[in-house]
Amino acid sequence: MKAVEIDFKTSTQAINLKKKKKHQNHVRNDAPSPVSASHAIGSHLVCALGLALSFWATHSFFSTNLISDPVHTLLLTWVFETPIVVLVYSRFRKNPKECSYWRAVGRGLLGIPLGALINIFGAIALGAPVGIQYLLGTINWSLLMSLLTFVPAACVFGSSWTDWQRVFAHTKPIGAIDYMICLPAHGAIIGAWLGAWPMPLDWERPWQEWPVCVSYGAMAGYLVAMVASLGFTLVRVARLPLKQD
Amino acid sequence: MPPLTCSGLTTCSIAAVIVQMVGVSLFMLGFFPVKPTLSGVSGPESFRPPDHEVYNLTTPLPPPTHLKSLYQELSEIPPSFDRLILMVIDGLPAEFVLGKDGQPPSKALTDAMPYTQSLLKNGMAIGYHAKAAPPTVTMPRLKAMVSGAIGGFLDVAFNFNTQALLDDNLLGQFFSIGWKMVMLGDETWLKLFPGLFTRHDGVSSFYVKDTVQVDQNVSRHLGYELNRDDWDLLILHYLGLDHVGHIGGRNSVLMTPKLMEMDEVVKMIHLNTIVPQDDIKRQTLLVVVSDHGMTDNGNHGGSSYEETDSLVLFIGPTKYASDYASATHNTAYQVDIAPTLALLFGVPIPKNNVGVLIAGIFTSLTDDQQLRALELNSWQLLRLLEAQLPGLSCRSFNSDGFSDDQGLGISKCSGSMDEMFCCLYRNAKLLHSSWKLKTVSSSPVAAYHDFLKAASEWLSHRATDKPVNLLAYGVAAMILSCVILFTLIFCLCKEVDLREKQLFSDKNRTQGWHLHETFTLGVTLFLVISMGSSSMVEEEQYIWHFMTSTLYLLLFRNIIQSFPAGTLQSSVSAIKGQNKKCYFQMCSLFMLLVSGRILRGWHQGGVNWTNLPDISKWLEQAGSDYIKLIHLGAGLLLISLSLFGISLLKSKRNFILVVQLAFSIPGLLVLQHIMKYQDSTSTASSYGATLLAQTIYVILGIMTTGTVIASPWFMPVWISETCSSCNFYFSTSVSIDGQNKSLLIGLRDSVYLIGWAYLYFWCLLQMLLQQPINSMPILLLLMQILASMLYSSNGRTHKQWVEVAAIYYLGMAGHFSLGNSNTLATIDVAGAYIGLSSHSTLLSGILMFIITYASPMLALLSMVMYISLKDPSYFVIPQNADYGYLLKMMIGCPCLVPLCLNSVLLTAYTVVLLLMRNHLFVWSVFSPKYLYVCATTVCVYVGVFVVAVTGFYTCLVFAMRRKRQDPFSNEMGKSLIGE
Repeated sequence: MKAVEIDFKTSTQAINLKKKKKHQNHVRNDAPSPVSASHAIGSHLVCALGLALSFWATHSFFSTNLISDPVHTLLLTWVFETPIVVLVYSRFRKNPKECSYWRAVGRGLLGIPLGALINIFGAIALGAPVGIQYLLGTINWSLLMSLLTFVPAACVFGSSWTDWQRVFAHTKPIGAIDYMICLPAHGAIIGAWLGAWPMPLDWERPWQEWPVCVSYGAMAGYLVAMVASLGFTLVRVARLPLKQD
Repeated sequence: MPPLTCSGLTTCSIAAVIVQMVGVSLFMLGFFPVKPTLSGVSGPESFRPPDHEVYNLTTPLPPPTHLKSLYQELSEIPPSFDRLILMVIDGLPAEFVLGKDGQPPSKALTDAMPYTQSLLKNGMAIGYHAKAAPPTVTMPRLKAMVSGAIGGFLDVAFNFNTQALLDDNLLGQFFSIGWKMVMLGDETWLKLFPGLFTRHDGVSSFYVKDTVQVDQNVSRHLGYELNRDDWDLLILHYLGLDHVGHIGGRNSVLMTPKLMEMDEVVKMIHLNTIVPQDDIKRQTLLVVVSDHGMTDNGNHGGSSYEETDSLVLFIGPTKYASDYASATHNTAYQVDIAPTLALLFGVPIPKNNVGVLIAGIFTSLTDDQQLRALELNSWQLLRLLEAQLPGLSCRSFNSDGFSDDQGLGISKCSGSMDEMFCCLYRNAKLLHSSWKLKTVSSSPVAAYHDFLKAASEWLSHRATDKPVNLLAYGVAAMILSCVILFTLIFCLCKEVDLREKQLFSDKNRTQGWHLHETFTLGVTLFLVISMGSSSMVEEEQYIWHFMTSTLYLLLFRNIIQSFPAGTLQSSVSAIKGQNKKCYFQMCSLFMLLVSGRILRGWHQGGVNWTNLPDISKWLEQAGSDYIKLIHLGAGLLLISLSLFGISLLKSKRNFILVVQLAFSIPGLLVLQHIMKYQDSTSTASSYGATLLAQTIYVILGIMTTGTVIASPWFMPVWISETCSSCNFYFSTSVSIDGQNKSLLIGLRDSVYLIGWAYLYFWCLLQMLLQQPINSMPILLLLMQILASMLYSSNGRTHKQWVEVAAIYYLGMAGHFSLGNSNTLATIDVAGAYIGLSSHSTLLSGILMFIITYASPMLALLSMVMYISLKDPSYFVIPQNADYGYLLKMMIGCPCLVPLCLNSVLLTAYTVVLLLMRNHLFVWSVFSPKYLYVCATTVCVYVGVFVVAVTGFYTCLVFAMRRKRQDPFSNEMGKSLIGE
């Protein structure tokens, strides 16, 4: 514990030092830390495994699943997934020299409720039921969605508006890290959007309830998009040496 | 492709619309055949030949007991039975009892119904495969059984006030001769015949999962009723077997026990009422029927053999058939039940019956009586034929037939339809008359059957056949008009695009398709795809809201795209202005989304989830006082909003004051109407309310037409020196003189004023007509439309067609938030009589249309305001262009885009309906939806017409004013008048 504190102190000192240096030099180092293919694969795998593990854990230890008890399952899932996503993506933070790892972790944690608010707004605008009996489900779902969409970008970009705009408004990812953020986030949103389609049907299945099928859709979209993002990253990595030649 | 002229565009679009109208009418005629039916009820005249119509129809019918004896006397057939038990087993295929293709049913099935099978073996019962007509669902089948007619869809649809069967039918005939009737089972009977039953116990067919309780609820009264002697007709309707089929199909494990249960019921009735018929006066006939069959999976509704194979089983005290084979291998039609029962019980055959009596039941009668029965049936069918073939007249043949010798009058029948029917009828008639005189030995039965069979087949085919030609031509015409409209809009968009490029060449206008543009088309595509599923049609409100909100969220994203980067650092005023505009747009979109969500929550809507809580239910629970307060508040807000909106005009103070005064008068009257008359108690019929409502109609009409006609003339035109701000807009076109500019600004202002007048008129009318609970949604809809106006007037980032389409979608999504759905039951009939002093189908129909299409029409009318709020650079006339070009730029997109989108939906849905014609829910889900689609088309036509006429009129007036001001430039005015 102490070691960590000391580590933290030294790192804050380092930040201050760097800040001073930056002010002196007026040099910006915007280049993101290079992401190698193994890093990308590893981080995606960890995130996906985290989701799978949390599902397995809720199923085996608490013997619930998304259909029978969506509120608790979603709660456990996002609690389980939070450290994984935040810790993994903070490693790829922008300006790693100016921004310490723990600072990135901190803004990632701060991003969770913010992203949840945005997700709640979107879901309710699209017709998610409003009511006390749905409240807990909506909150837990939005926290999970925030983890899948908003938090990685918060960890990596911080408050850099241009980056946010580039990735989310224009959907024009440049580097590997952009792909790693942009594609899974969009995948989760599109998956959730598509997952809402069976809700009005009269099949009388329990999974048609809010937010069960939307969560399934979001996670499926997230996983599919992760594969796509991996593909993109690998293609880029394979091409890079060619370009240098 | 050369640019379209204004007149060319107009002609083409009008042609496309006309083609579309023709296509829809052809399709409607083909898909929903309207056959002429005879109104009224058969009376004593039906026992006289059709050529003796001298019987006075206006004579009041004698009281029931007299009528009964009169009928007996006239019919010359002694009634074979006194009492009837009609046992309906829902969904039982005749195959289960009678077997198929001459083979008896399987061992398991015969074992399941031992008593019924033994009756058949002894010849005590006689069974028929009674072919049912599609749609094989319960209510139309019951109607066919009791009236003998095959109804069309439209007479069901236009009868949405009541589900009661108003046509001539058996039960009505029985009622008129004083029968006492008892009904146990499916409550459909109670809906069809309200007030006819002395005792009844209806069960709901809603809980399909329940296979036991529904039938127990019928059987529990059976012992009691069978012991009583006070009824003449007992109807038992067992639903359980249909439910078993729906759950597990034909081979469900529950099927055998259910058949056994039904067999027990048959046994109980037979042993209790038919066997111990010691009292000769109370002869009872048991008729076991099924309304339709089922497929192997247990579904029904279509026209396959499995579904249409329904059962008729007559069980009486006498022996019908000598052996098992002749008791089971008979075929008939379901409509034959009505004339058979009518003749057996001595009542007139229902007027619109197309069935033929089932001869096997009449074997116990003498030959004379059998021929009489055939004759009565022939007369009835001949009357119906005469109604459907107006040229048919066989009466001339009748009179000279008697003098002929035997055999001379008989001829081979051929030729046209009319001639053939006449010939067949004449043959039968001649044979009958000579048989009576004992001049021939051959029985005329065969001749009668020839005529009856031909007539019945022709009549029933007319009711069910869909002429393929009409359908094909209809669909082709619709597709053609769709293609024309698309071509037009494509050309127009290209031109608008070109113009925009000229104007804003510096803007970051990227080539290719943006996401929101693709999605705007995607909305329609998703809708078309979802229309193929019946549950999606039932719950369409979710889809519209989902798609519209998604579209607006994408537009939100689009704003963020154009949000300038580096917000903090920049201090340039242009970027700040851009920022401000972005914030403005964001706020309006936010408001739009929020009010859209409230609208979605106002009425749950749909079919399956109507019981879920929504705001309207919540408010109704809270009490009518709150609703009235909200109603008043919404009215006040509406008035103040519109007054504020008018005051935004930068015009002369006096002019604005006059307009505001004119606007506020009907508003206050509507408020008074709300305060005084729209309580929870229905006082809508009181004289004062009617008068006030009529006054409001008149004043609103005068105000709106007055504003529309006068404002282009009296709208003050700015002097160019005072117009300093507008120079900013016109900086791109320096060559235009000040007068031209000021006229354009005047044109814009007057269109803005007319737009407000339309919106205000429509909203006030809705405040008056809609249910009080819908006042807030009307206001929210108006807010949504105003927000989208604000949004589109503040930026030039979108193509025009996207904005128009988005407004159109808003209107369609709002349609459902006023409580409408795709079933005909949600049409607000009560509001259609506000302000009408006497009943008028046309006027109340128009009011009903106004109420139902409040939201789409509001969106279409708002296009007028949209035109005025568009960036004025659209209006600027290039050097060598004319008013025609201006008009095209102004109203081209707002008129063509709704027409185009609607034509896509209409055409696609027509194809869906055609594909789904054998679907189980074609009559309950898809056909009502088609009526709604057609009504929406009418609404779009009306709205677009209003917008186009307004635009044309305003432009015309300004062209004339310009001519008056500047006599040298009349060629511009001329060119427009030339259009």
